Amino acid sequence: MTPLRITVNGREHVLPAPPETTLLALLREHLGLTGAKLGCDVGDCGACTVLVDGLAVNACLMLAAQADGRSVLTIEGLATPDALHPIQQAFERHAALQCGFCGPGVILSAKALLDANPAPTAAEIREALAGNLCRCTGYAKMITAVHAAAQALHGATDERSPRATPVPRLPLPGGGTGGPR
Amino acid sequence: MRAFKLVSATDSAQAVALLAEHGPGVKVLAGGTDLLVDLKAAPEAPAVVLDISRAADMKGIAATDAGLRIGALVTHGELTRSPLVRELAPVLAEAARTIGAVQTRNLGTLGGNLVSGVPSMDSGPALIALEARVTVAGPRGTRTLGLAEFFVGPRRTALAPDELLVDVVVPAASLGKPAGFLKSGLRKGQALALVNVAAALWIDPDRGAFRAPRIALGAVAPTVIRAPRAEAYLEGRAVTAEAMAEAGRIAATEARPIGDFRASADYRRELVAVLTRRALAAACDRAEGAQ
Ligand SMILES: Cc1cc2nc3c(=O)[nH]c(=O)nc-3n(C[C@@H](O)[C@@H](O)[C@H](O)COP(=O)(O)OP(=O)(O)OC[C@H]3O[C@@H](n4cnc5c(N)ncnc54)[C@H](O)[C@@H]3O)c2cc1C
Ligand code: FES
Ligand code: FES
Repeated sequence: MTPLRITVNGREHVLPAPPETTLLALLREHLGLTGAKLGCDVGDCGACTVLVDGLAVNACLMLAAQADGRSVLTIEGLATPDALHPIQQAFERHAALQCGFCGPGVILSAKALLDANPAPTAAEIREALAGNLCRCTGYAKMITAVHAAAQALHGATDERSPRATPVPRLPLPGGGTGGPR
Repeated sequence: MRAFKLVSATDSAQAVALLAEHGPGVKVLAGGTDLLVDLKAAPEAPAVVLDISRAADMKGIAATDAGLRIGALVTHGELTRSPLVRELAPVLAEAARTIGAVQTRNLGTLGGNLVSGVPSMDSGPALIALEARVTVAGPRGTRTLGLAEFFVGPRRTALAPDELLVDVVVPAASLGKPAGFLKSGLRKGQALALVNVAAALWIDPDRGAFRAPRIALGAVAPTVIRAPRAEAYLEGRAVTAEAMAEAGRIAATEARPIGDFRASADYRRELVAVLTRRALAAACDRAEGAQ
């Protein structure tokens, strides 16, 4: 087995893994990073979401070998020994997680969004979180928390804050599903 | 997943050679969003998996003399973000944005979506409405064919077992052609299409009439299909809301949907009528916006 060379949370790892190892299995079972969760194992739930070269992906649907030479960020890479990451702080302050199983995935999806779009609208937040299923908290508090994190990170203000107006439904591009045009 | 041997190619020529070397038991891996799901459920592992995700000549989006060339490995996420696509064929970005969720769009590739041959695929209709062609490479060399001919049945394409899909070309004549794509699923986020429809058309500025209308329907036949009778009805006809509604009704008679637990055949036919009308209207809005 040729060893893989993968940077995880800023640290380079060189390790062998059988070809059928998914990136999720590599993180959880070979590196002991159990933040990314194994939910559905087929791309539906988003519990396994990590960032690869800055983009959110389902770690259950990527072979570890496909991450060879690339840089992976997991939930363990966000906080410092002194403080939680501003997104984590916002989720805590707004009580946006209950059991927390979906949390690592949701927070990393939010991180990918805020890195690319510092002041997202509620609709953009919904689109970014559409691949992260939560079975207990629900999504309203998460959307509030992502707005709050955007403000904390970038001082971004958005007049369409979900507190000021009801959150619009996520529109499909071009008006897709739904009402009359 | 059961154990398999993994080989990797850095360009399409090497991938074709590896396919030939390892024979018909090889499974090609691009973004893995279909293949890994299948392999996890499969009772037996393939002998060899060929990872093409690092094949450099199958990546990238470029404007060429022939048209807009999109490598088979371009992801749905890249399509949604590409300034070239947004300028020359924005309907492709719109269709890509309806696929799965952000995470699946960052992994899943255009080539994988087309090769899957699933009738509800969201990349097919817009590309067929724009009369896209595909390039296929194999041990006997390279050939090109229309995307409509590439689809031969549910989960079946014209690709031979030793061939690869290399790229998709939207012909120069279709670039800038006003088009619309609409999808209806059971939910707004992360849902497969019950029906999806794309329409592309020119409007003759002197006569205010449809010219070269193209309508493609997904999830309502064994493959993505054109709606030739609805197209013929519109050709040369004045652009009116009634003409678009009638074209929708005609397209519904061209659809051959099945009924299943997600929607009945009748409901799908009704969706074809409505989505076709709206896709035509979206294309007309875009044509007006361009004038
Ligand atoms: C949660 C989830 C939601 C989804 N939602 C949608 C949706 O809304 N709409 C939709 O259309 N699709 C959807 N899909 C499916 C979509 O992700 C795939 O069709 C994707 O585009 C396939 O691309 P891939 O690169 O992941 O293919 P892979 O899984 O790598 O490959 C798919 C198949 O194509 C073959 N293949 C791939 N590339 C080539 C090539 N260049 N040449 C020859 N053979 C090749 C492989 O051998 C395999 O048989 C969804 C998938 C998931 C997991
Ligand atoms: S575990 Fe990967 S998406 Fe559910
Ligand atoms: S907090 Fe329990 S699944 Fe989201």
